[in-house]
Amino acid sequence: MAGFVHLHVHSHFSFQDGAASLEALVARAAELGMPALALTDHQGLSGAIRFYKRALRAGVKPIVGCEITVEAAGTSGEEADLPPEERLRFPAPVGFARARGNGFHLALLAKDIEGYRNLCRLLSRTHVRSGDEPSVVTLRDLERYSGGLIGLSGCTNGEVGSAVLAGVPWRAEAAARRLARCFAPGDFYVELVHTLTPYSPRYVAALVSLAEKLHLPYVATNDVHYVEQADFRLHDVLASAGARMELPGPYDRPNAELYFKPAGEMRRLFADVPGACDATLEIAARCELDLGLGELHFPHVEVPRGETPYSVLTKLSWRGLEERYRPMTPEAVQRLQHELSVIDRLGFSEYFLVVRDIVDFAKSHGIRCSGRGSAGDSIVTYALGITDADPIRHGLLFERFLNPNRRQMPDIDVDFDSARRDEVIDYIYRRFGSDHVAMVATVATMTSRSAVRTVARAMGMPIEHVNALSRHLPWVGARRIREVLSDYPECAHHPLRDESRYGMLLDLVERLDGCPMHLGTHLGGFIITREPIDSWTPLQWAAKGVVVSQYDKDDVEALGLVKMDILGLRMHSAISDAVRLARERADTDAVPEPFDLVPDDPKVYETIAAADTVGMFQLESSGQRNLTTRLRSSTFEDVIAQISLFRPGPLEAEMIAPFIRRRHGLEPVVVPHPSMGEVLRDSYGVIIYQEQVLQVAKAVAGFDLAEADSLRRAMTKDRSREEMEAIHAHFVERAVGLGVEREVAEEVFRQLEGFAAYGFCKAHAACFAVVSYASAWLRTYFLAEFSAAILNHEPMGFYSPRVVLDDARRHGVRVLPPHVNHSRGDFTVEDDGKALRVGLDYLLHMPGKLPPLIADEAARRPFDDLADFLRRTRCDADAAESLIRVGALDGLGVTELGRPPTRDEMLALLPELKAVLAREGVAGDSTLVLAPARTRPREDAHVSGWSEPRRLSEELQRLGLAVACHPLDLAYDDLVRRGVTFAKDLPSLPDGSFVRVVGLRERAQTPRTRSGRRTCFLTMEDATGLLDATVFEDVLRHSGEVIVKHRCYLVEGTLQNNPERGLAIVARRVEPYVIRASGSDRVRLRRAVGQAPLGPFRGGAGAAEEESWDEAEDLAVSRDP
Amino acid sequence: MGRNAAIKRYNARPEGQPVDLFDSVRGRLPVVLELLKSPWIVRGSELVRDEDAPGAKRTAEEVPVTWDGTRRAPVSFTWRGRRYRIDALVQTWAVERRWWDRERRVSRRCFRVLARGGIYDLAFDRLRACWLLIGVAD
Repeated sequence: MAGFVHLHVHSHFSFQDGAASLEALVARAAELGMPALALTDHQGLSGAIRFYKRALRAGVKPIVGCEITVEAAGTSGEEADLPPEERLRFPAPVGFARARGNGFHLALLAKDIEGYRNLCRLLSRTHVRSGDEPSVVTLRDLERYSGGLIGLSGCTNGEVGSAVLAGVPWRAEAAARRLARCFAPGDFYVELVHTLTPYSPRYVAALVSLAEKLHLPYVATNDVHYVEQADFRLHDVLASAGARMELPGPYDRPNAELYFKPAGEMRRLFADVPGACDATLEIAARCELDLGLGELHFPHVEVPRGETPYSVLTKLSWRGLEERYRPMTPEAVQRLQHELSVIDRLGFSEYFLVVRDIVDFAKSHGIRCSGRGSAGDSIVTYALGITDADPIRHGLLFERFLNPNRRQMPDIDVDFDSARRDEVIDYIYRRFGSDHVAMVATVATMTSRSAVRTVARAMGMPIEHVNALSRHLPWVGARRIREVLSDYPECAHHPLRDESRYGMLLDLVERLDGCPMHLGTHLGGFIITREPIDSWTPLQWAAKGVVVSQYDKDDVEALGLVKMDILGLRMHSAISDAVRLARERADTDAVPEPFDLVPDDPKVYETIAAADTVGMFQLESSGQRNLTTRLRSSTFEDVIAQISLFRPGPLEAEMIAPFIRRRHGLEPVVVPHPSMGEVLRDSYGVIIYQEQVLQVAKAVAGFDLAEADSLRRAMTKDRSREEMEAIHAHFVERAVGLGVEREVAEEVFRQLEGFAAYGFCKAHAACFAVVSYASAWLRTYFLAEFSAAILNHEPMGFYSPRVVLDDARRHGVRVLPPHVNHSRGDFTVEDDGKALRVGLDYLLHMPGKLPPLIADEAARRPFDDLADFLRRTRCDADAAESLIRVGALDGLGVTELGRPPTRDEMLALLPELKAVLAREGVAGDSTLVLAPARTRPREDAHVSGWSEPRRLSEELQRLGLAVACHPLDLAYDDLVRRGVTFAKDLPSLPDGSFVRVVGLRERAQTPRTRSGRRTCFLTMEDATGLLDATVFEDVLRHSGEVIVKHRCYLVEGTLQNNPERGLAIVARRVEPYVIRASGSDRVRLRRAVGQAPLGPFRGGAGAAEEESWDEAEDLAVSRDP
Repeated sequence: MGRNAAIKRYNARPEGQPVDLFDSVRGRLPVVLELLKSPWIVRGSELVRDEDAPGAKRTAEEVPVTWDGTRRAPVSFTWRGRRYRIDALVQTWAVERRWWDRERRVSRRCFRVLARGGIYDLAFDRLRACWLLIGVAD
């Protein structure tokens, strides 16, 4: 017999104990002509489904398996009870996070679907059994779930192998006997691994003797951990990183022999025992797993006696339709009948009922939610209340959502109020049963930054060195690290550019590109199954404390399981809060609840068209603001177009310019065929939406919509030239058959081909537009409430909290400082909607329980002074210091001088007060008189005693907000002296003017451009508004480092101010700018680092900065005149 | 006879051979090879775990080796002016250590051979592309 099959193979999904990608493994097996290949990753099946699919495609039989850790089988007692010479040492722990196990290795292979299900159950039971116990399979469980499984005794880290190596033969024999008893006769093999070490021949011989003695079959493996021999370095690095050790890592492998050896090499290694290689082929022949990919498995839905899921769905849909369409229209009736019949034919009724059930729960409990994505194309989802955009009014096509010709799992994504999403999740577990529900995993992969850290740490570099190497690297794939280092201006002085010193590190980093690092938890993906979920997928605890599948969304979809995306949308939370606040202040009739608005208020569209959109859902980014000034949106359809146009696809296809030119009559609307003109009337002959591709194919070539959707899908996925030619010919022939001229048909196809891949799903945009309109309405009529709600649900949207607050101030809302006698945790609205009070939650070092306690105490009786505050709240010193520094205790108490203490005086008093209070307990003297320590003299007449820049610096540092004023207000004189133009004045300047502006950086984005050149879109803010600058590559080369390392810039350039391009500055020079009030300290713009593990809980652009950037700013100060 | 056939087949007490266990080198070789590979005999030199221990007879002398590309095995080597024809290849192994450290990196393919009645460990150093005699055992 010739040939060989690798039955013990680790991939990247062994998480830091495997350096082989699935693609490479399968390709190598196919290249070597191996009939089958097994995958046995540590402790799980995370890579199993994608391996299964890939192997089938490559014509290699996939054998799904896993290497588990199992408890000791060769001794009944504890290891410690044995004499020292007979004890075995456990191998290094393997597996990821809470699926990590510390036991002997044992490989399992699924013979059939029963084996696969048992493997899932065994893994789930082991990993989920107890959160804190290590994930080690018990012999009892192994015995119970071994049906359909083949066991291999394991590598040198198996108990049998370890005992042989340690020279404890009785233990090896006992372990082999006990393990063999767990499996059906003939299903347990003694595994022989010859790793070309000096002891390998003897190891193999000993195991063969043992197997013969016990009448057990044996099989050869190579315990593959990498495909090519040269990749052993990568494996060492990953293993070291996984174990948080320096090289050589936990295994200290003596050589590089765990690679994917060809059959000939394996047979040469086992020349003395050829039967061991033959056994690999026999096992491969016995494994016949069919996962039944392509079948769909819906969860169980209870329906009343005498009803079917379809009948229930039909009744609910008709009822919903009556409420949505008043009066009912024949078109709606016809459309619903059609969709219901398709849903019934495809067998999807249960799925719709499940989604409707969850949405119904949310709505009945006042939890704001909305469907998104192509589900908005369906009138059934609209009637059931899952989506809110009218599919008839907006020309949305059901076939884009559900193609009757393709039975694919429908995908309905629903966004829920993120603050209350947990209530929805609880309901799902209760409704479907916790043993039928699990969250979906995500696979986190290496980027350049994480790869550098991984390799540097494995190489034993100190953490400061590791930080220095990974700092300032952009978020790009590790493969591009050398390109980034040589081309990106921000890396001009990066230490990694020293090739002689870091050449090997960079080689390894490049090879780690895309390597899975660990499993994460999907933001909102849930699997719901009819059978117990552990018969479908292995489960484990996630770091968040929820049970998560080891499969990601693509795996779940491939298995045909129902995945529901229960996504949290902070804008829903903000809208809910804003509506509540608005109803508290204004007439409840003015703010309806439920908050379903008719999108026809011209004042709202005026706000949008003026690009006054900070905080508005999907409309606030700098790109959208630029677009809105060019588009001048005035209808709901315009908002849908606006959302669709500013997307990577339409941007790349350069759809925006023709759309705007045609909309404003600057160029004629030209279409190759009149029927196309009709279909594309709303978008002026430009194909923006995917739905329009379907309509054009129908109108010009007579396709039905299902066929047209198949055409669209064929056009958008990778296809060969021949396939494209076939599609092309088919389309043209059909069009010509309908009397369309061949040249016209060719031109229509060319346009479809050009735009099909870039178009946006209109239903998705329409669903978003409903939320956008609601946010725009609130912003227009209740700005203070809307801003407070946005600030209370940060991080969200495009802008940092500082900009949201500045924007409110620019619109006449007063910003009141935080104060212990007035503030709550959240931002609050005061003075009949004319003022916003800063909440205490934003404060650095503020424990979560303290703000409500302060609010309760202040409501009972206002605080008299610092001592009173400390006594009643037991506030810790850090929090008290933060409160003092931002002025939350300003004006409280009176000193001997007959005035309130300054902040310096309070800070000096604080330690003494804390000490006295600690001694006296809660019940102390109510009047506490202490002689204050000497402090710095007053800087300013302000009650705080501090200068304005100092107050502002503290606010920015501790709140991430500028409360007193905008930071650039302090530098007004200097700005005027320098001839700086303010943001509010830019629109009135002519196109092409030279301008000089100064602004605080809000965003610096360098998206991929069609030309491949780097362009930075810099969003800044001065005291009067937002500024947008475009920094092209030639300027970026000189100023890239300035942009990355500084927070405030002086930008000079040419103003672009025309209807076609909108308003922006094309930068010629970008310099750092240091804010300083005349003759005073500079304003520090950095936010301080919090003590919590994740830094300040309010993330976004106000997040903590790295120390080195402070250094950069210090340097700029020294250069500044 | 299965594995260890040479040992099992060997007549240890042939008539007319009162002193020597083996009648010739040719008769001894297969038995020695099987004994060397057997899991139940440990060679004295292997009990010394530390490579640098003086008793382990470890060395790292550069030696000329004749290589047979067809069998992928060394044929002979010359040590201290004397040529050693290799009677049998006992075992091969590979060493890859400390690859991240340019100074201390080791990358070798090793061959344990039987020559002139002794066991010698030869290694091809892949970094320096030369042959070394790394052990003289038993």
